[in-house]
Amino acid sequence: MTARLRVWLFTVAAAVVGGFFVAACRRLPPFGTARHPYGARAVTAALAHRTANVVSSVNFDLRAFDTLGEESILFGAVLGTALLLRPARDESLSRARTERVLPTTRLFGVLLLPLALVVGVYIVAHGQLSPGGGFQGGVVLATALHLAYIAADYRVLEKVRPSAAFDVADGISAASFTVMGLAGLVSGGAFLQNFLPLGTFNQLVSGGLVPLLNAAVGFEVASGVIVLVAHFLDQALEVHPSAQAPQPEEHPT
Amino acid sequence: MQASALLPLAVAVPLLGAALLAVIGRRLPRVGCDVLATATAGATVCCLVLLLGAGGTGRATAHLGGWPADIGIVLVADPVGAGLALLAAVLVLAVIVYSWRYFDEPSGQHAGVFPALILLFEAGMTGFALTGDLFNAFVFFELMGTAAYALTGHHVEDRRPLHGALTFAIVNSLAAYCSLLGIAMLYARTGQLNLALAGRSLATGHGGVPVTVAFVLISTALLVKAAVVPFHFWLPDAHAVAPTPVCMLMSGVMVELGVYGTARVYWTVFAGPGGVPPHAFRTVFTALGVITALVGAVMCWHQRHLKRLLAFSTISHVGLFVTGVALLTPAGVTGTALYVAGHGCAKAALFGLTGVLLDRYGSVDEYGLHGRARGLRLVGVLYAVGGLALAGLPPFGTGLGKAVAEEAAGTWQPWLPAVFVLVSAVTGAAVLRAAARVFLGAGPRPQPRPHEPETTGEGEEPEIRSPRRALPATMPTVSALLLLLSLLVGTAPGLAVALGRGGERFTDRQGYLAAVTGTAEPALRGAAEHTWTGSGIALGLLSAALACLLAAAAVRLRAPAGFSRVVASAVTPLRRLHSGLVGDYVAWLTVGVAALCAAFAALR
Repeated sequence: MTARLRVWLFTVAAAVVGGFFVAACRRLPPFGTARHPYGARAVTAALAHRTANVVSSVNFDLRAFDTLGEESILFGAVLGTALLLRPARDESLSRARTERVLPTTRLFGVLLLPLALVVGVYIVAHGQLSPGGGFQGGVVLATALHLAYIAADYRVLEKVRPSAAFDVADGISAASFTVMGLAGLVSGGAFLQNFLPLGTFNQLVSGGLVPLLNAAVGFEVASGVIVLVAHFLDQALEVHPSAQAPQPEEHPT
Repeated sequence: MQASALLPLAVAVPLLGAALLAVIGRRLPRVGCDVLATATAGATVCCLVLLLGAGGTGRATAHLGGWPADIGIVLVADPVGAGLALLAAVLVLAVIVYSWRYFDEPSGQHAGVFPALILLFEAGMTGFALTGDLFNAFVFFELMGTAAYALTGHHVEDRRPLHGALTFAIVNSLAAYCSLLGIAMLYARTGQLNLALAGRSLATGHGGVPVTVAFVLISTALLVKAAVVPFHFWLPDAHAVAPTPVCMLMSGVMVELGVYGTARVYWTVFAGPGGVPPHAFRTVFTALGVITALVGAVMCWHQRHLKRLLAFSTISHVGLFVTGVALLTPAGVTGTALYVAGHGCAKAALFGLTGVLLDRYGSVDEYGLHGRARGLRLVGVLYAVGGLALAGLPPFGTGLGKAVAEEAAGTWQPWLPAVFVLVSAVTGAAVLRAAARVFLGAGPRPQPRPHEPETTGEGEEPEIRSPRRALPATMPTVSALLLLLSLLVGTAPGLAVALGRGGERFTDRQGYLAAVTGTAEPALRGAAEHTWTGSGIALGLLSAALACLLAAAAVRLRAPAGFSRVVASAVTPLRRLHSGLVGDYVAWLTVGVAALCAAFAALR
């Protein structure tokens, strides 16, 4: 197929699909009405389990099984990246260079890294109460550690985040979600059913299993993202084609 | 143990096993990883066997988190869904045992990653087969995809696997976005994510464009996974480069899960009033199925790269499966279920045996291997048996499934059985032809055809780096056991009866809704008995005989030049369409969605 034919084919087909899609969306129920079929049921169920943040209740209680699948997707993506970015037989490893950094940048890092860590922990810990939770807080935590790379260099980052330890943390937190689900089964209820006291509404300890599952996801996302970024950074900074393989010469244009 | 506990365990056990392998795999010797992976896969198989035993021929449900279906997620096991999950689990166990001494896995920091990804793949497949919730099905669909993309690109030293994996990931992810849009539209319309409740809610409306478009969009990802023409282009490219154990899983069961998903979503959500009318579904999906079967068969016949040959034969069989479920009858579902079970085992066995060739000779090229595998007698015999099973020889499960589906198809359109016979004969013949050339050195050595747009199978990386060792016994043994299983599917007396009930359950919307909402299920109508019939055996023997004749003719006879030229001028444009360019594949994906929208709008 020539490039031109391909573009034509795609354009015509996409126009047809777009036409159907627009026609379909115009006949959907409008936004902003008072009718919220799932919303109404979910709010009632969340309040019954004393979870102030209904979104977290949906994620970690009502539809916690979806979240188990989603965090497994992240876990699988991290494993897959490890598999695909492993040093190939024709590649060798070398240590990243030390870098000079402006003192102001270093100061910025020293001040902001602990601050960002605290913000991340706060967002994870308050997932059952206020917007945020394990997914968002986990990403903040992972980003916080990478300030070490910006404010110092890769060697410092490698000291701050030993990637082997985070690899293990990633697996353990992924497993802990499943184990808590099984605990519901063992305690006589259904898989992922709450078996803890529900606590007081709008307090840090409330919502039964929600804070624990939320924390498990927070750890999983933080360590998963750290490991994921580590593989890509390693690839960029430490993995090189072997010396034996001659570099292909640039063709003169 | 109760069925409601076994259902989530079928997903939780492989997830736990994967996490354990990732954590302690690097500290274990290779044997430890293998034992852990095998134990997990075995436990999942046990779990599903117990589930099928506990559920009997009825339905078992698990309300996760203890929430009702309109708030939480419900898992539902009926014989077809749980049976498909069991097929996935059995193939995963086979693949793990097959890889024991075969696979050169990365060690050190990355030890245990390969089996961990296989187990995540398994959790995705069992979850997808057992869930009764549309969004949850999407989540497990993505889990399957994530694991499969990474596994496809496993050989990082070579550029081709990365290219195949990237194509696979891009095409599947684009289709997944379409599905997500479709799920959102259905949710906007019904306020439900549970399949049965969404179906019930649709019945209060009167269908129309949003429902049709939602159905087409949701089906897109499933049809891409099922490799239905014109959504199929990624499959041969991914199969040609993926490690053999991964091909066994993708061809054996993952692709079939796409067909299952389409049928499940149609029956539970869209089959009632206010949905997609049955006559439209039957017409469109029969057309899709027949086109897929024929395109797959033609392409399969013209391959010399053995893995691509098997991949196109999978596409061809998927066409038959789609035709079977498109009949919208219990017998069609039962026949397809039997066919999928028999085909999954036989196809996995054939990929396993191709892995032996790759391991011994570093090639999967039918021409290059001509006569070179004369020493591997047992493997050759098994290869030929696999080819005959693919052709539907009684009493293999493929033969029984084909017979039941054929009969069901023949009562609607008398010409459909001819498609079944032709397609299974051609795909079986392609395998037999390759077996005769590779293992017997039959016929003249085929000449290289440098001007043809084709993929040779030369210069493949062997999957292990110590070629000077004996052939691991596990490789032919696992393949032989899988062929035996395919035979058992056709001969075990209880299975056809159970899947006969399963077909009735699968097509019973009211019963599914009742099971999900926890009200009393209406009694099952008396299920028809599906077993070997005279005509079924005759047609099975006919397609097997045709396959042998075709294979013998291809090896021995030299076609007249004029005939070859006509065939080449007809087939070459079709082969050129399989260009390997992601842009082309995305264009075809869009064309497919547009065509489906137009067809369903026209037939409304």
